[in-house]
Amino acid sequence: MNYKVKKLLTNWRVIILIFFLVVSVIAIHPTLSKGAAIRNVITNSSASLAGIPQPKPNILPVNRERIIAINNAPINTVDDYYKYASTLAPNRTITVKTNRAVYKLLTQENFETITLNETEEKTVEEIVQKSVTLNGTAQLINETVTRIITTPKTKQISKGIQDLGFRVYEAPKTNIRKGLDLQGGTRVLLQPEAKLNPTDLSTLIDNMKTRLNVYGLSDIVVRDAGDLSGNQYIIVEIAGATEEEIKDLLARQGKFESKIGNKTVFRGGQDITYVGRSAQDARIEECNPSGASQWVCRFSFVISLTQAAAQRQADATSDLSPVTDSTGAKECYLSEKIQLYLDDKMVDELSIACDLKGQAQTQISISGSGVGVNQVDAITNTQANMKRLQTILITGSLPVKLNIVKTDAVSPVLGEQFINNAILMSLLAILSVAIVLGIIYWRLIIAIPILITMLSEVLILLGVAAFIGWNMDLAAIAGILVAIGTGVDDQIVITDETLKGETSSIYNWKEKVKRAFIIIMLAYATVVVAMIPLIFAGAGLLKGFAITTIIGVTIGVFITRPAYSSFVEIMLK
Amino acid sequence: MEENNEVKVESHHHTEHKKEEHKIEPKKEFPKKSLKHSLMEFYDKKYKLLLIIPFLILFFSIAQIGYQIYSTGDFINRDISLKGGVTVTVPYDKPFDIYHLEEQVRASFPKNDVVVRTLRASGTVVGVIVEADIDGNNKAQVQKFLDSIANSLQADLSKIDYGIEIIGSSLGASFFRESLIALAVAFLFMGLVIMIYFRTFIPSVAVIVAAFSDMVFALAVVNILGMRVGTAGIAAFLMLIGYSVDTDILLTVRVLKRKEGTVMDRIHSSIKTGMTETITAIVAIVVAMVVTQSEVIRQIMIILFWGLIADIFNTWIQNVGLLRLYVERKAKKGITI
Repeated sequence: MNYKVKKLLTNWRVIILIFFLVVSVIAIHPTLSKGAAIRNVITNSSASLAGIPQPKPNILPVNRERIIAINNAPINTVDDYYKYASTLAPNRTITVKTNRAVYKLLTQENFETITLNETEEKTVEEIVQKSVTLNGTAQLINETVTRIITTPKTKQISKGIQDLGFRVYEAPKTNIRKGLDLQGGTRVLLQPEAKLNPTDLSTLIDNMKTRLNVYGLSDIVVRDAGDLSGNQYIIVEIAGATEEEIKDLLARQGKFESKIGNKTVFRGGQDITYVGRSAQDARIEECNPSGASQWVCRFSFVISLTQAAAQRQADATSDLSPVTDSTGAKECYLSEKIQLYLDDKMVDELSIACDLKGQAQTQISISGSGVGVNQVDAITNTQANMKRLQTILITGSLPVKLNIVKTDAVSPVLGEQFINNAILMSLLAILSVAIVLGIIYWRLIIAIPILITMLSEVLILLGVAAFIGWNMDLAAIAGILVAIGTGVDDQIVITDETLKGETSSIYNWKEKVKRAFIIIMLAYATVVVAMIPLIFAGAGLLKGFAITTIIGVTIGVFITRPAYSSFVEIMLK
Repeated sequence: MEENNEVKVESHHHTEHKKEEHKIEPKKEFPKKSLKHSLMEFYDKKYKLLLIIPFLILFFSIAQIGYQIYSTGDFINRDISLKGGVTVTVPYDKPFDIYHLEEQVRASFPKNDVVVRTLRASGTVVGVIVEADIDGNNKAQVQKFLDSIANSLQADLSKIDYGIEIIGSSLGASFFRESLIALAVAFLFMGLVIMIYFRTFIPSVAVIVAAFSDMVFALAVVNILGMRVGTAGIAAFLMLIGYSVDTDILLTVRVLKRKEGTVMDRIHSSIKTGMTETITAIVAIVVAMVVTQSEVIRQIMIILFWGLIADIFNTWIQNVGLLRLYVERKAKKGITI
């Protein structure tokens, strides 16, 4: 027996299986972390003003920043967070401790203005333009007048503190991402009214991401999907958001404005005719080390304006004066900056070069920079900054209407129930298979390895999902079940082909395993080809199922089944 | 050669029989053994007659589907994911009258198809699912739908974390079309793989016909049960392709590509392996069907269950019969397999 165990552990097929199991556990990264994981930080909230960074969209679940204490009171669950947050008073400084840092937040008061049933008189100052004749010429002058107006009386009442600005969820215990139907959230399927070419489609998607990020939503998925008939779709998934919220967001977005002072100089869609994104019109210009541990790179790209927009720009800048940089740099900028607004929220501002003052130029070069700890890092950040700016400027220049064709909101309460139920179901199904096979073969030496093989397949499949960032939803769970099901079929074939050999020793072991694998490979090929069309059909809504099944059966055929056949060979020989 | 083949089969059983006789005769347990024996003999010899059963079932299944098309205009009972409409899922653990709820919602939408189901977790009701094929793009209609549910449950929906799925009717129809294309292409691909590997027409066709018969039977049963099929159901039919050909491939490879024993020996060994596969799968499916609270998974499991039941007679009677006809024809031409 000892000899057999040794032989088993030195068998390369078994070693490969063990290797994949270990890698999968590392990829899944089970932890015991507690706290409330930060999903999003709402723009202009106490949290964002305290400098708490917005989580990166593709961050690994276990690496998410988690709130672990507020004012030294431990926060172990989302409930703890909400309970503690509800006790806070306005205009106080609180300390929020996360697994990364400690932040000081100032709680803000939430006022509601209500209109009373009375009126009051108010004195207001107004500036009126008057046409006066001065020295014989008609001129427009501004005159300040004081008026008394009657307005309804209003009263501001405090409604406690404003939301701190965290969107939290239970701290993830593994790197397996839960799909929407398992964690709650909303998915919207949009269809462009007119057909878009691939470049426009990807710009549109970048655009939507940028806009949704403006609202402090980073845990979002915006991707394109197609179907076999050539229809285009855009899928937007926001975890933890309700249907109303997401519809509201999609309806609101689409307004881009840029202002100098308070004057709007150009708007998206009509004023900017071209945003350079080709290698010629957009590039990273120079990279230099700055200080001891930083690199700075500069980018610039070209945009084209309509004549009218260029004129507005000229008018707005004609009165501005140049300011000299205190650092004494050679560049000269005007006293006001050009501010970029997305849906009335300022997202960026650009300095205006002195030579643009009062000039109606239709070709403008926009430049900026990015920093990083080394040159490569700096280039990456610079590119990201450039892309963000290009995306903002291009907003609205794709005159295509998106229709909502499907919305799907899953309640988080049900999501939680579904996941527990799905785990229970899968385990019971696997266990029942092992019991049935134990009864049929009446040998533990067969039933137990089959059980181990099934569990290994689930583990490796989850490992792959964690590694590639695949979302586990109900369809994917169904896919896991199919993969395990075909796996069991194959193990039965291997067992029977080899057991048959116990009585009639016409063939040697190698031959028997080879014969089993002919049947297995053929069955494998049919499952894979049957799943391929589903990847492309119907906006890819069953893509998760198809891909999980394909990955699962592939793992089975190339990793777990060879190990199982080696096991049977060594133990039963 | 045909004779030869059958003689072989007989002689095989005869020897087995003799062995048993030797031990068992004094106890006179003969009649019981004889029933099993004669059944086996019937199965082995009258395979042509037996072929009538699966083809009769196939015929009735197709007839059912024909009737379904005649009476509803559609060969399948589509749910809203393939037809367009609204599904609302409300977590709700207080006792309520499901018929009352259904009546109330129906009263508000007399022209629509309204379905109300309960959502259970380990036996207890944890929520309710209401779906109707109303126009999802019409905000007022959707609100009216929500209101009628809220009224009936006497609950304030805005305070409950309910789920809602809205599918436009043209999208539902397009999903349906797409799913059918995917299903057809998948079936075609599967057929091609089988044809390429076996390179013989009749055995390949037998495998493909068996898979087709499984799917048609499952569809007919689903129609008779009045079950609605959605995108998940389409996925189930695709899974059925894979499961169904597993046993057929096993049978065909063993009969055509193996040399040991007689054709009947190889068929018997395939039945042993194949039935182990099918029984295991059915047990796992029944367990999943009982435990799950997800409508998506239950739908998949019901379709797979009936498909696998059909797979038993479609593989071991239909496919075996067709394969033996082929082997016999070859034998007549002087080619032994």
